[in-house]
Amino acid sequence: MPFFPVLFHRRLVALLAILLAQPVFSAVQPSPGASLSDEEIIRQYKERCEYILNQTIETTDPNDLSTGSLFQVAVNLHKGTNIEWARKRLVFDNQPPSGNMFWVLPMVLLMQVAKDIEEETGQSLLTNDDWAFIRTLWRTYFPYRGDTENHWIMYYVSLYLAAEMFPEDGPERWYNGKSSAENMAEAREYIEDWIKITTSYGQGEYDSPNYIGEYTRPMALLAGWANDPVLRQKGKMMMDYLLLDFAVENLNGIYGGAHSRVYPRYLVQPSLTASAAHGWLFFNQGEYLANSSNILIALSGYTPPPILLRIAQDRDNPYIHRELKRTRWRLRNVGETAFEIDGKSTIPVYKYSYVHQDYILGSSQGGLLQPIQQQTWSLIWYEPKPAGISNTMFGIQPYSSPFEGTMYFGENWDTVTDLISRSKVDYDSEDKLEGGSPYEQIFQHKAALIALYDIPEGTRFPLIHTFFSRDLKNREENASGWIFAQGGPAYIAYRPLAPGEWKPVDWTGLLKSGAGNYFSATLSPTSGFEPLAGGSESYVSYELQNGYIVQIASVKDYDSYEDFKNAVVALPLEFSLTPTPSVTFTDLEGTELSAQYGKAPSINGKEVDYSTWKLFDGPFAQAEKESESLEMIYGQERYFLDFKNARIETSILPTK
Amino acid sequence: MKTLFSFFFILLFSAVELTAEKTEERVQMFAALSMTKAQESSSVPTDAGVFLYNNEGQWTRFGPKIINIASATADSRNPDTIYLACGNGISRSRDGGKTWRMTTGWEVSDVKTIAIDPTDQNNVYAATAWGVWLTRDGGESWVEATTGLPKKYSRTILLDPSDPNRLLVGTEGGIYVSHDKAQTWKHVPTSPETTVFRIKQSKANPNLWIAGTHKNGVLLSTDNGKTWASTAPTLRKANIYGVAADSSNATHLAASGWGVGVSISIDSGKTWIDRSEGLPSPHVLALVFDQNHPGRLWASTFEEGTFYTDDLGLTWYEGGIYGAYVWDLGFLPQKP
Repeated sequence: MPFFPVLFHRRLVALLAILLAQPVFSAVQPSPGASLSDEEIIRQYKERCEYILNQTIETTDPNDLSTGSLFQVAVNLHKGTNIEWARKRLVFDNQPPSGNMFWVLPMVLLMQVAKDIEEETGQSLLTNDDWAFIRTLWRTYFPYRGDTENHWIMYYVSLYLAAEMFPEDGPERWYNGKSSAENMAEAREYIEDWIKITTSYGQGEYDSPNYIGEYTRPMALLAGWANDPVLRQKGKMMMDYLLLDFAVENLNGIYGGAHSRVYPRYLVQPSLTASAAHGWLFFNQGEYLANSSNILIALSGYTPPPILLRIAQDRDNPYIHRELKRTRWRLRNVGETAFEIDGKSTIPVYKYSYVHQDYILGSSQGGLLQPIQQQTWSLIWYEPKPAGISNTMFGIQPYSSPFEGTMYFGENWDTVTDLISRSKVDYDSEDKLEGGSPYEQIFQHKAALIALYDIPEGTRFPLIHTFFSRDLKNREENASGWIFAQGGPAYIAYRPLAPGEWKPVDWTGLLKSGAGNYFSATLSPTSGFEPLAGGSESYVSYELQNGYIVQIASVKDYDSYEDFKNAVVALPLEFSLTPTPSVTFTDLEGTELSAQYGKAPSINGKEVDYSTWKLFDGPFAQAEKESESLEMIYGQERYFLDFKNARIETSILPTK
Repeated sequence: MKTLFSFFFILLFSAVELTAEKTEERVQMFAALSMTKAQESSSVPTDAGVFLYNNEGQWTRFGPKIINIASATADSRNPDTIYLACGNGISRSRDGGKTWRMTTGWEVSDVKTIAIDPTDQNNVYAATAWGVWLTRDGGESWVEATTGLPKKYSRTILLDPSDPNRLLVGTEGGIYVSHDKAQTWKHVPTSPETTVFRIKQSKANPNLWIAGTHKNGVLLSTDNGKTWASTAPTLRKANIYGVAADSSNATHLAASGWGVGVSISIDSGKTWIDRSEGLPSPHVLALVFDQNHPGRLWASTFEEGTFYTDDLGLTWYEGGIYGAYVWDLGFLPQKP
């Protein structure tokens, strides 16, 4: 009991230290990357890396063994600070070991960091007993490989690097009864296979603002510590690849567009995501956010090519960016559009983003493209300081079914929804904010989006809803049927095709209760429901055949809000909801868009051909399907990733 | 001629000895489980693995603590060789569980059940969520064996003890049969095209097979798995996860499922009666007749404990492992 106030005080001091330290970077608006030299971009990046490490040290309490991640232990070992705490914390945190694939990764990190220091200085940071303890853990603790690609890539990269440290060890030294050589061979095969599939058919857990770190961490591990030159190179190249994927759909450090996986807290506050932490580190945008992936990357020595920052920062001209991704592997209910890669089923995901300096509107085609946490479409608008602002809009059909669960997991039909809801607590709730639906079809052209729904009778949650942020201004329901609002520098027009009603976000109260630790149930400025999501509303419609149109425009393109509203109201629009929903709408640029549920959409009468979709197709990035390559272009600067040959090419393109 | 006769006599005597040994085969019950009852705000169960039921009525851990173990199988001729069907692949022990080796690589995962050829222990077959895999060298190497399976998701695999070339597998597309040691598969026409969760064969009457299905209730075969027909009309639309055949009585069968508890047949599957009263939950996912106590039936409810009955479900007794989600109940042969 006497210890509690002391610990509390120290944590408070640490928290204040973080808060006070943040303005050092957040107060400075990033310079346009185009005007900075490569050297300056890299110098500033390394400065931010150093800042991360110093912040991590500052938040270490050497008198408290009960807190501090293994990432924090690694930083302290790297910096030579709080060594005794680090050694003891390593042991304390492993009584017993837990976390499976989330355990192996930081364990390898701290082992590699300790080894680096020992090799550089000749001094042992960890004692023989410490190393013996670590080796015992690897012999006795059997980490589960997991059930998603991020789990597997973390598991196998970590296993590879752990085994590479002890290449001669026999099977008796490892939990799975395989020798170091066998573990390395297996891990390498998976890593190479994952890279090949990703660069040929797209990432399975694509563009996740939350899970981007679950991919950058293992890739940075490879880039930083693999002895094998090919794997080391491919790790670096995959880091470039993943960050380019983010950079082209980035707006001031926020990940725009459609996403495979997002958690509720981050849906309503995009500036809190791991991708936002990456946005600050890699693109010098947004604000510093403590993040374990950034810690690992800062330790790894990985340096991004300067072209990434330039692409991420340049929003001078709006552009269309298309991507081809794939769903996670489907076990059952694979569907008619499924195809196999290496004997496993998936379907294509067609991503479309319209990237504007004031907003990003992005979408996928709809359907069950990812279990549980899919965001099928979203709007984000520019905020100079997005922290605390809910600068987003999105809509969903809250689908919950064992049909989806058994599609992606090996569980039983009758237990899968319950077990999903043990961790993704809102999955089976009608007011959830994320998830795909087989009854949803999305079509987007530039700043206009059409969503159609055909929900069968008997569906568990027979409704659709759209998130309207508390940070929207001037929201009004027009007599024409349009709902108008302004988000930062973007005008928003939303036309429901069926009647609806306004409800507070989280109208069932699940999230307010702190469900699943998504939000703190107690008052907290950084994690409570009210500070993060309170005041926002959902537009809810219970018609089974349904839909809406979204039209976005930049404030600067109109003389006034009234002008924008008048322009939208005057747009030609025809729609019907029976027998199936269909819309023909002419957008603000005069393009006629037609969509009918169950059929391919058309633009000015021409059907959209998804079969020609490339892996990346935009002004800054090009990659053909099955190419195992990616070309980044910025002005005359070209940066080419050739995964077949583990080679990077840089060149200056001729002036156009 | 005399020598030949003597040789034949020795063989016969040995066979009798073997048979005698087999009838006195020592077995121990296992449960492959995850402790999910206390799993809150987490995707990870609080405990998991294979647990053995000992003479004192206690469940004790056997083998490594690994999340997502669905079943265990041991070689009946060499009980020291044991395979675990794991999320991470197929783990094997050759020393009765003292040491373990993950025999599969990254390609094999989400393994549900394993069958060992009783005539050649090098032939081992695995039903996985991604299809059937087999080994011809006792687990040193594994290859995919899905030729003829249009839907790969496989839950249960059995080898016909009278014909080691013949296997049956329960898949998302129904029951499939192989007559060439899993090289190729063909749909059993009388099997509905639905997921088959569990297939069991009666040791007391090898012609009698029983299967549990997704939304198609209980299937029965009385011709050694060649043809199948629906039985238990009250369960016809149920998800049946557990089926069992009493090795001590050819007429006794049991089936269990989600929301339907346990049903019993005492006439080889012709008629069925609900025997769920006394169980704390109608969700029963695993069933097995006890090979150490003839006539005893074990049933595992979803998270509400495992129970046994000695009177075909008229009375149920607590059998422990409260909070568990049991994927499989079965028996591992023990050394004599």
